[in-house]
Amino acid sequence: MKNIILYVGIAVLFFWYLSFSASRLDRLHHRVETSWATLDSLLQRRAAIALEIARSTITDPATSLLLTASAYQARSADMEDRSSSESVLSGALGMMIAERESIVAKSDQALLYELEQLTDKIRVAISIHVESVTRTQLIRHKLVFRLFRLAGTAPLPVTFEFEADAI
Amino acid sequence: MIDRKLRIGIVCPYSWDFPGGVQNHIRDLAEFLINNGHYVEVLAPATESDELPDYVISAGRAVSIPYNGAVARILFGVVANSRVRSWINDGNFDLLHLHEPAIPSLSLLACWAGDGAMVGTFHAAAKYQRAIVAIGPILEPVIEKLSARIAVSESARLTLTAHLETDAIVIPNGIYAENYRDGSAQPKWQGNTIGFLGRFEEDRKGLPVLLDALPIISRFIPDLRVLIAGPGDSDEVLEKVDPQLQDRIEFLGKISEAEKADFLASISLYIAPNTGGESFGIILAEAMAGGATVVASNIPAFADVLGDGQFGALFESENSESLAKIVIDLLRDQEKRKELASAGATHAQRFDWSQVGEEIFEVYELAMVSGQKVSLSSENRSWTRLLGRD
Repeated sequence: MKNIILYVGIAVLFFWYLSFSASRLDRLHHRVETSWATLDSLLQRRAAIALEIARSTITDPATSLLLTASAYQARSADMEDRSSSESVLSGALGMMIAERESIVAKSDQALLYELEQLTDKIRVAISIHVESVTRTQLIRHKLVFRLFRLAGTAPLPVTFEFEADAI
Repeated sequence: MIDRKLRIGIVCPYSWDFPGGVQNHIRDLAEFLINNGHYVEVLAPATESDELPDYVISAGRAVSIPYNGAVARILFGVVANSRVRSWINDGNFDLLHLHEPAIPSLSLLACWAGDGAMVGTFHAAAKYQRAIVAIGPILEPVIEKLSARIAVSESARLTLTAHLETDAIVIPNGIYAENYRDGSAQPKWQGNTIGFLGRFEEDRKGLPVLLDALPIISRFIPDLRVLIAGPGDSDEVLEKVDPQLQDRIEFLGKISEAEKADFLASISLYIAPNTGGESFGIILAEAMAGGATVVASNIPAFADVLGDGQFGALFESENSESLAKIVIDLLRDQEKRKELASAGATHAQRFDWSQVGEEIFEVYELAMVSGQKVSLSSENRSWTRLLGRD
């Protein structure tokens, strides 16, 4: 009799642990989705600003062309190419910012200022996103999670390789 | 940019009754947010009294227990836990900001109970400790719930990565730079004076290192004076000093903020010989903002704030000779001193609340994208329902 109580106790504890782990993982997946949504919206906004800059008087025609092309590419890229196409856009924006001293018009300065603010935010958003992704990957590689398939059918999140220094 | 006004709940793990680095940071942060029009509540261990600021909510009296090599005044237990839970439940917060969620106090309880946008700030910098790694598996599922983590310095970030395998964004502690900018130089504190500020009885503040350097410095700088400001028993310190040098040392006692600004503007050198246990070094930021030339030990937190020597001189920690050499060099070279002081004063703007507060708020914005209010977490709910407590 005592043994039975013990076994039942262990089983209950184990199932509690499984349910706890599952909800823990669920929360992590949720966090990844949220941090990605944030990052994604910030990147979209950056692409929009890049297009606006390309159309403004700030840039010469060649830079305009480059900016427009890379902004469109970043916007239409799918998940896998996103990272690299965003890096290309970063590079293009970086080149333009390097010459910002020669820009005088007030309205153009405002645009550049907005871009700068956005860049700071993107940097923080990337680090938040990368952290939540690595955390999730780490947890999903643990034995209990793999053995009992606690992740269900959720795809393994991928990190965003972003050249944060390029901007 | 979020324009609407937020309801922000901040949790302080240490007793509000005893001032300290974390408490000061939370006070300044809360006031910064309130000045920007947000609604802020700070939940902290405190004795109920009229002296508490409006925004501080007491969660009960703290208990003093030795933790991590110092006495920590923290709060936990069943009563505290239910206080935290009802605070979260009633608060209707957009975001919780938990300070030091890895120590057993209110922040950890709040992190456990809460669900939604939560930001954690890690202040402590410690050497690698087995004990913390051992409790890691318990802490991890809790710490994981934070939507974003902030570390106050590079060393705090490294402590976090080493112990809990998680990364953080570095945002330094803030100061109100303008409070120190307008100090006026007092003739009584000028000349070949070196200043020290802080609770000098604590050995880790490093006063002994400075006192050991005195014989060497005074041999080269005969009119040297040492000004020591801060609470403590001066006789005990003087006993250990060579009688011939005792008249070089002046104790100013505890000084007000306004006096502090004058103090920093007057002295030739500000010395911070701390031997460790510092996570940030807010006092260095204040000293730089006050226009003092800073000489500090090269512990990681200080080297960080001083930009590896760009904005103030560094000496080898706990090495009196190294300290003496740098002090003598600088006292003899006014040009160099001025150069460091002005570089420091410019750099100090980086720590001003206008900048730091903005950065923290940016993290808030990124943490609360989903737009839901903070609620009690669901797994806790099912348990309370099971136990019939709902």
